[in-house]
Amino acid sequence: MASLFKDPSKLSAYRDRRFSGTQEEFERALQTSTTVYIGNMSFYTTEEQVYELFSRAGEIKKIIMGLDKNTKTPCGFCFVLYYSREDTEDAVKYISGTILDDRPIRVDFDWGFQEGRQWGRGRSGGQVRDEYRTDYDPDILSLGGYGKLVQRELEQRQLVDYGTGSLGSFPPVMTPYYGRHGGSHGHGGYHRHGRDYHRKRHRDDDRHTNDSSRRTLDHESRRNSDPDSRPEKNPRFRESGDSDEDEEEYDRKRRS
Amino acid sequence: MSSWRSLILRIGDKCPEYGSSSDFKEHIETCFGVLRRELEHSANDIIDFLLQCAEQLPHKIPLYGTVVGLLNLENEDVGRKIVENIQINFQNALDSESCDRIRILMRLLTSMMCSKVLQPVSLVVVFETLLSSAATTVDEEKGNPSWQARGDFYVACILSCLPWGGSEFFEQVPDEIERVMVGIEAYLSIRRHNSDTGLSFFDDDDESGKGSSEKDFLEDLWDRIQVLSSTGWKLDSVPRPHLSFEAQLVAGKSHEFGPINAPDQPEPLSQLSGVPYGKQKHHAELKYPQRIRRLNIFPASKTEDMQPIDRFIVEEYLLDVLLFLNGCRKECASYMVGLPVPFRYEYLMAETIFSQLLLLPQPPFKPIYYTLVIMDLCKALPGAFPAVVAGAVRALFEKIADLDMECRTRLILWFSHHLSNFQFIWPWEEWAYVLDLPKWAPQRVFVQEVLEREVRLSYWDKVKQSVENAPALEELLPPKGSPNFNYSMEEGKERTEQHALSAELSNKVKGRQTAREIISWVEESVLPHHGLEVTLTMVVQTLLDIGSKSFTHLITVLERYGQVIARICHDQDKQIMLIAEVSSYWKNNAQMTAITIDRMMGYRLISNLAIVRWVFSSANIEQFHTSDRPWEVLRNAVSKTYNRISDLRKEILSLQKNVLSAEEAATKAKAELDAAESKLTLVDGEPVLGENPAKMKPLKSNAEKTKEEEISVRDSLEAKEALLARALDENEALFLSLYQNFSNVLMERLPEDSKAQTLRALKSIQADEMVVDLDESSEMDVDNENGRPKKSQSNGEKASKVHNVGDKEQWCLSTLGYVKAFSRQYASEIWPHIEKLDAEIFSENVHPLFLKAVYSGLRRPVSEVSSS
Repeated sequence: MASLFKDPSKLSAYRDRRFSGTQEEFERALQTSTTVYIGNMSFYTTEEQVYELFSRAGEIKKIIMGLDKNTKTPCGFCFVLYYSREDTEDAVKYISGTILDDRPIRVDFDWGFQEGRQWGRGRSGGQVRDEYRTDYDPDILSLGGYGKLVQRELEQRQLVDYGTGSLGSFPPVMTPYYGRHGGSHGHGGYHRHGRDYHRKRHRDDDRHTNDSSRRTLDHESRRNSDPDSRPEKNPRFRESGDSDEDEEEYDRKRRS
Repeated sequence: MSSWRSLILRIGDKCPEYGSSSDFKEHIETCFGVLRRELEHSANDIIDFLLQCAEQLPHKIPLYGTVVGLLNLENEDVGRKIVENIQINFQNALDSESCDRIRILMRLLTSMMCSKVLQPVSLVVVFETLLSSAATTVDEEKGNPSWQARGDFYVACILSCLPWGGSEFFEQVPDEIERVMVGIEAYLSIRRHNSDTGLSFFDDDDESGKGSSEKDFLEDLWDRIQVLSSTGWKLDSVPRPHLSFEAQLVAGKSHEFGPINAPDQPEPLSQLSGVPYGKQKHHAELKYPQRIRRLNIFPASKTEDMQPIDRFIVEEYLLDVLLFLNGCRKECASYMVGLPVPFRYEYLMAETIFSQLLLLPQPPFKPIYYTLVIMDLCKALPGAFPAVVAGAVRALFEKIADLDMECRTRLILWFSHHLSNFQFIWPWEEWAYVLDLPKWAPQRVFVQEVLEREVRLSYWDKVKQSVENAPALEELLPPKGSPNFNYSMEEGKERTEQHALSAELSNKVKGRQTAREIISWVEESVLPHHGLEVTLTMVVQTLLDIGSKSFTHLITVLERYGQVIARICHDQDKQIMLIAEVSSYWKNNAQMTAITIDRMMGYRLISNLAIVRWVFSSANIEQFHTSDRPWEVLRNAVSKTYNRISDLRKEILSLQKNVLSAEEAATKAKAELDAAESKLTLVDGEPVLGENPAKMKPLKSNAEKTKEEEISVRDSLEAKEALLARALDENEALFLSLYQNFSNVLMERLPEDSKAQTLRALKSIQADEMVVDLDESSEMDVDNENGRPKKSQSNGEKASKVHNVGDKEQWCLSTLGYVKAFSRQYASEIWPHIEKLDAEIFSENVHPLFLKAVYSGLRRPVSEVSSS
């Protein structure tokens, strides 16, 4: 609907290097994809929490948790596959930048999950972004990867271990669904097994048209760095630059 | 973005483009100053972009109208072109029934009339065209009153123009506009009052006759316009920047507006009631929906400094921002809080957003959109808005017992999601008193379901911490959610033979045996010795346990071993046992129960009919008024059935397009081939029919190939159409079964129809037997003295009021509420089957209250209940 403030060419400024096609093919994949990538999640967030939140944008087909290669436990990202494109767009529009499990998550279109992408690509096996976000998430890095926040959560919660148990030995099944659609869409048509190098997933943090979500991230992490203090007020929503003035302006207008 | 574009886009905003100025006159001068320089080279681009902005930021229309006026002064060709463009767009919008576009273009035309770009008489002609179309539609002889929604829409559009140009109209063309007003009055006298029955937020409104006595949307707008007219068309909420330029603008050339045609009238109906009338009315109301249904939750004092018309205008502004800035969070929030009005409106803003979140039958966008908007506004106005939102929650909670069931569900989902974004902070102690209410009391159920959803979004301990200001509420938290496995290997627990079988099965799965191998093991070694029941329980429990770790584990098990389950549960009775087993395994986890059943339906391990039968099994019926659990499962099943149908419809639509293009390609290839074949060629000096073979061959193969493609596309279209036909049959069967079950359980529990003809009567049944209740409420007072806040004195009263409704009566009220909600949500899918439903279910031996609930959900005139 709103076309005035959106630049449709800026669908996603990062380019996943694993995508083998041309830039055009990549953009087309993003424009038709029914997969979203979710980042900056808590390691403790479960698929069921993701399901509860993301099913509010539409019927979910599949969830794939990003796992640490070494520990086989969630490492802060996942993919959600929808049945319909419209629902996929709504998930990006309405959920990105909101809170799941006390963390502001990011939601982007993804070009389609394929086998192998569930493994974290950082050097230590986790989500790449974790290793580059010391500036706003000190907890994850301090104490050898587990900060106060994580420790606090440990008392109450357990990481889901995807590596052991009855299904651990199964490779994820990608057989067609006999539910809706038949499962062919959303997936790239080729496989690149065995080429799982530590590649950096390039994301341009500033590409968000919505500056506020970034600011919220900053705010949240500062909060998280001291888990005992609860902010009295809700985090403030700011526009780039002059939101204070705006609020004053609003108040003034209303009083007059 | 080149600077003239950003000046057009940002006009009226406080933004860098306009320095720090917030003076509309300065903005217009700056913008016009730049535009006039660009006019020579980019007139067409400017026109296009200006119109685009005016259509998508309609609250700025007075500014755009004035800019157009100045451009028209500078160059009257530009003015004429703009008028012509709008004329074309407007006619297209009428033909394609694009309501928002029609409405907004009319406002833009009005504003351009104020800036002397358009002759007022031309606009009056537009009004008269629409008015006469509306009047014909509602005429019982010439028209088709089932389409009144369209007539009402046209008239509302005309009335909506007046706040933007009423004084100009009455100044410049007083007689003509007066004629329009008289015409509207006449229209209002012949149309039918539009009752909101079935769509009101509160059940009470439906019954108290408020729906029929209270003004409908159009009557209400007419009243507001009358008041505006009586105050000389003076209002605060519409800026009038053209007045600052009046001296210049009068010199402008006013253009004529080309003729427009209202779309054809719908075919007249032979009967003014009955099924065809109802179907068309339903269709017309989908095409021309009412934009807003007011939710009055705050005391009038919160909005009293507004004129009646201001409320309408601020609502229009807000709804348009919500509509056009969907997906642009920053702009949406900043326009919502920065409307060009000189009064405070945060209460009205909250009422408007909640009225959309709860709008029946559907809000324009998914509820999660409004959730996001409310969060963003809480962040944008941290000092003002959170308190208003909290006030809205309290007000709705007060009336929760009367709130429509669908609205209750949306409110629960919204509230839990909202709190999850604000550290789950809520003064729960205010609601601690619900623990003293019976377990079916709507307030108590609301709190319990909000907590359930909070736990799903977060985790149990976290939510428990969040209610620490009312620790007793812990009692309403769901159980901790762990599986309930029949064959767990806990120490000291007796191990049965079934434990061994389960362990064996588990080992086979770990050993990666195929489904086929496991099926033969079950059929050869388990079934013959243990019987079906034991086998089913053992297999299902064990597989569920293997898949219990996560959603993905569940899917993986179902994908690998679904066939094992399918082999055991091959008919509906076994499927119901399967669902019961799922429900038992996940008895502590409503979410996993719902997800598992949903996935099993997805893999067609269970049918929607089996789910309906299970939902209406006695254990579930007991919970109808105390838990959302069975309803969630039922909602999922119906929505999944519906999703299948709508997917198929979409696929068929795109296949139909493919067939057309394949046909074209085939015809073209054939024509080329024919042309080549009929051509005379000289071979060895002799004329021969047909192009030379080297050229013929590719043509021929192309013709064959395209023909084959056409056939294959046609085949897949036929296949999809067959699938759709089957899905529609399944859907019909689903609703037949659903209504039959509803009818049966209600018939068993509703009092005789002579005793309860209205919901209100139902509620007061218990009141007649109040003696017991009075005792209970006095007990509660004692409770209150034991350390509860003094304030709960009034809560005690509230509680006793709720107490009036007994277990059985509340069961009936809740169930009837769901009957209405399902009927309303799927009305479009139910209407096509109405004849069959009428014949098989709604005809005899149904309780009138049940029928009333169905009819009001379908928006079918209740008066027909008695005649059918």
